[in-house]
Amino acid sequence: MAGVLLDNVAKIYPGGVNAVRGVSFAVPDGGLCVLVGPSGCGKSTLLRMVAGLETVTSGAISIGARVVNDIEPMARDIAMVFQNYALYPHMSVYDNMAYGLRNLKTPEPEISARVRDAARILELSDEMLKRKPRALSGGQRQRVAMGRAIVRKPAVFLFDEPLSNLDAKLRVQMRVEIRRLQRRLKTTALYVTHDQLEAMTLADMLVVMNAGRVEQVGAPLELYERPATTFVAGFLGSPPMNFLNGKIEAQGLARMENGEALAYDAGHFGPPIGADIIAGVRPERTSFAAGEDGLAFKLELVEELGLGRLVHGRVGAAPYAVALPPGAPLPPGETARLAIAAGDVHLFDGKSGVRL
Amino acid sequence: MEKRAIFSNRLLPYLLLAPQLAITLIFFYWPAAQAVKQSFFIEDAFGTTSTFVGFENYRTLLADPYYFKSMGTTLVFAAAVTALSLSLALLLATQADKSLRGAGLYRTLLIWPYAVAPAVAGVLWLFLFQPGLGLAARQLQRLGVDWNPLLNGAQAMTLVTLAAAWKQISYNFLFFLAGLQSIPKSLIEAAAIDGARPARRFWTIVFPLLSPTTFFLIVVNIVYVFFDTFGVIDAVTGGGPAKATETLVYKVFSDGRLGGDLGGSAAQSVILMLIVIALTSVQFRYVERKVTY
Ligand SMILES: Nc1ncnc2c1ncn2[C@@H]1O[C@H](COP(=O)(O)OP(=O)(O)O)[C@@H](O)[C@H]1O
Ligand SMILES: [Mg+2]
Repeated sequence: MAGVLLDNVAKIYPGGVNAVRGVSFAVPDGGLCVLVGPSGCGKSTLLRMVAGLETVTSGAISIGARVVNDIEPMARDIAMVFQNYALYPHMSVYDNMAYGLRNLKTPEPEISARVRDAARILELSDEMLKRKPRALSGGQRQRVAMGRAIVRKPAVFLFDEPLSNLDAKLRVQMRVEIRRLQRRLKTTALYVTHDQLEAMTLADMLVVMNAGRVEQVGAPLELYERPATTFVAGFLGSPPMNFLNGKIEAQGLARMENGEALAYDAGHFGPPIGADIIAGVRPERTSFAAGEDGLAFKLELVEELGLGRLVHGRVGAAPYAVALPPGAPLPPGETARLAIAAGDVHLFDGKSGVRL
Repeated sequence: MEKRAIFSNRLLPYLLLAPQLAITLIFFYWPAAQAVKQSFFIEDAFGTTSTFVGFENYRTLLADPYYFKSMGTTLVFAAAVTALSLSLALLLATQADKSLRGAGLYRTLLIWPYAVAPAVAGVLWLFLFQPGLGLAARQLQRLGVDWNPLLNGAQAMTLVTLAAAWKQISYNFLFFLAGLQSIPKSLIEAAAIDGARPARRFWTIVFPLLSPTTFFLIVVNIVYVFFDTFGVIDAVTGGGPAKATETLVYKVFSDGRLGGDLGGSAAQSVILMLIVIALTSVQFRYVERKVTY
């Protein structure tokens, strides 16, 4: 059992690509930390540095109390689940799971007990243990890869997009299983994904990355409710947050680009009058107003989701989506007014995109 | 997916195949048939008359201790060349696979030997190891080795083995390198995390996954040693000393061409043909099964 600490970790690949630019965060012992961000933002690189598969250009990575920068992967007490599972194709499922223990010269009876224990937890039958990986379905291979990770009882699990090769239904199912398994084993885990929904549902702690940097760290709901930047605000949540440009006109009131006013919660230190801002409002926090107050909305398209409706349109020139709960009526015409509570407006700096 | 060309003229495919078929018939089947026919006849010393003798040539051959000695020599030679060239090629391929940046140049350098004719390869090694003259031979003598492949059969065998193996390394290297590069990196990484040190990773993961390539190369190399090393042996030792390097192929030549025993030589060729047919059929069957590891 051990936490993971990253202190100003950076990675420059030999070709000169600066993949990770000074990342710091701490995963508490037993926590499940999800690294999320768009493809190419450096998540895998970061995870592979924790695993010891890539060298660390600068900064320090600690597992437990020990800095592991110069320690070989095998001595780091970690296990990793790869996106393509990386099962040894010439070995049976049993041998795949036993491989790590055999390398540690564990006695065969104990290996057998641990492999069967893991197989039971993961619902892999005895008959399946004898098969080669190629004779398994995608979901079963995924379980074997998990099994291989858990039999060694490592201090830290590392997952690199382990579900992205599965179909949507299986992905949801395995997501729940991974969460359940991690809770049960109480093993610290670092989990990489580009899927914000997977990230939100799995994480105790969410690290949002963008272009090699950490944008924000925190509990999923915290990030969802108080995104630190427009990037985080736009990345978490589906459909994404709506953004409208404007200027502060008075404390608690912004004048938007289309000339209309939007009220917001002024808070303690509101932005100065005249400042350029970006106002962000979640689609599900927007509804249609009964009266003539609120921003003017021009309806363009309605999507039926079953769980509700998504109404796409524009406020001025900016695209804007409204998520309606099931049964909520659509506006009668092509234009409508938006009802937005002042408390639901997020304000970001117009230039840097940082939360105000 | 099946790829099938559609010809509007039914004769056209046969016409297109004709040159290839003609060449095969004239240069392979016809001499082969001649050899089979020849093996049932005995010619007199002047080549004027030939008498049908049935299996007499085969009977003589199988009663000839020199034939079995030559068979033994060939097997030793085949095993030594295959083992040497495969292991060196595998070693070079793993090194090239590790540092792919220098691999372009490395690869080109390693391919060259394959473009060298067997006899030239033989002569090259002969020069290197010529007692008293060759660079390598003088080094050996300086080290106190009594180096004289012209007199010492084991040394002659070593020399032809080196020359024959050297020529084959590049071919084996290319196949091993391709095999290594088709092994996903993540498997090696998974094994590293699973606590396997590099040597253990190689023997438990890489080597088993290369086994289809290795098997293919073993067959190819044995066929090469059995049939394509005539030039090397002729240039380096001429089968000597005292027939120490006289392989089956070389014996066909020396008995038939030099000894004038056309019938016996033909019988030997027929047996060689049977061996190559057996080897290639094993290989085809194996390749068709696509190799399950
Ligand atoms: N081995 C490598 N050599 C050079 N550049 C690399 C290597 N691996 C990844 N990169 C680059 O580093 C950046 C981050 O990659 P990666 O960590 O794989 O991103 P992610 O996993 O978030 O999609 C990308 O620009 C990628 O092209
Ligand atoms: Mg990745």
